[in-house]
Amino acid sequence: MAKRGLLSILVVIGIVVVFGVIIGGWYVGTRNTLVTLEETIDGSWAEIDNQLQRRADLIPNLVNTVKGYAKQEREVFIQIAEARSKLAGARTVGEKAQGYNSLETALSRLLVIVERYPELKSNVNFIRLQDELAGTENRITIARKRYNDSVRTFNTKIRRFPSSIVARNMGLEKKEYFQIEERSREVPKVDFES
Amino acid sequence: MRKTAIILFSLLIFSSLSIFAKDFPVPTGYVNDFAGVIDENSRLQMEGIINAVEQRTGAEIAVVIVESIAPYASIEEYAIGLSAEWGIGKEGQDNGTLLLLAMKERSIRLEVGYGLEGAIPDGLAGQIIDQSVLPSLQAGDYGGGLLKGVQAVAGIVAKEYDVDLGSYDVGESRRYTRTGVPGLGFIIFFIIAFLFGGGRFIFPLLFLGGMTRGGFFGGGFGSGGSSFGGGGFGGFGGGGFGGGGASRGF
Repeated sequence: MAKRGLLSILVVIGIVVVFGVIIGGWYVGTRNTLVTLEETIDGSWAEIDNQLQRRADLIPNLVNTVKGYAKQEREVFIQIAEARSKLAGARTVGEKAQGYNSLETALSRLLVIVERYPELKSNVNFIRLQDELAGTENRITIARKRYNDSVRTFNTKIRRFPSSIVARNMGLEKKEYFQIEERSREVPKVDFES
Repeated sequence: MRKTAIILFSLLIFSSLSIFAKDFPVPTGYVNDFAGVIDENSRLQMEGIINAVEQRTGAEIAVVIVESIAPYASIEEYAIGLSAEWGIGKEGQDNGTLLLLAMKERSIRLEVGYGLEGAIPDGLAGQIIDQSVLPSLQAGDYGGGLLKGVQAVAGIVAKEYDVDLGSYDVGESRRYTRTGVPGLGFIIFFIIAFLFGGGRFIFPLLFLGGMTRGGFFGGGFGSGGSSFGGGGFGGFGGGGFGGGGASRGF
């Protein structure tokens, strides 16, 4: 009689242990997934931040080149300077997105003005700077997609049950998306005949 | 019951197939003319140079001409998608470049992989297109323009890896000599190699340098089709891209 009791106790313990291992395994697995996602997000954000910085560094050169031909267009230069300092003071993802948008607006105005100065348009330095700027924009577009995709995956996972339990224990919060206004630039045509 | 299972199963297969439906064509080699606009002579010359570069540096140069980049909105999006899909360049080194010509949109882009962004920054990519490729494109000589582009890129890459391309004509790249002390990069490269590898790294490098200069490899690759052995294209190395490069309209 006692033996049967002992056996059933062992079986119950066995089931509990197996159950515990399964749950534990799932928990650790989910935790690791969330950590990996966070790392991916941080990596993509670092790339965005780098390119934003690079852009900010390129712009004074661009402005100086334009000033060499169009000194009197003071208003747009002031707008660009203001937008730049706003972006420099930005800290959060949302602030940086806003800063990027206002800088983009000011830059578009500058490029409209440049259209009126054909000598400036064919200036080798100016063309090179435009290429570099376009390069940063392209990289930001790509990094933004990668960033937002991983943020989406992350946010979904931490809100969904049962991974939300793990997320809460880890103290994870939703991450911000990087929302910027897509400005489709026309592929630059360089006219050497002018 | 069984019939339902079979139907559901087939639906699953078909739907997953559509997920894998690629917007991008499959590469047939390094030079891929999907629009049929480049002349045979240019194509052969390009392949020769690209093969030489790949054999001697590992860097992969891909040339693609498409009728249109649709459904993509911009050549930048198409280029990065194609480069990533094909994995141009060696994995880990990310030393791939793509020259993409879109006929309908009349656009050209030189896409540069992560690993070559130092050798070909965006400004230089734009310069290469402006000076070497565009004039021929505007005159309707697509093969010639792309060939000059390949020559320019190949020369710059060869310089970056400090490798001699022997009899292959990359004179076009001489327009883009970097300012600074010539040979300084060579010296720095050697110092770094020595620090990391010690003498055993230097010796084979010198040996290799001697061999290429002596024309050992020159002409060995032939001017004919691909030298991938067996006649099939082996595929690209899985390199990564970040969006470097430049685009132009013509």
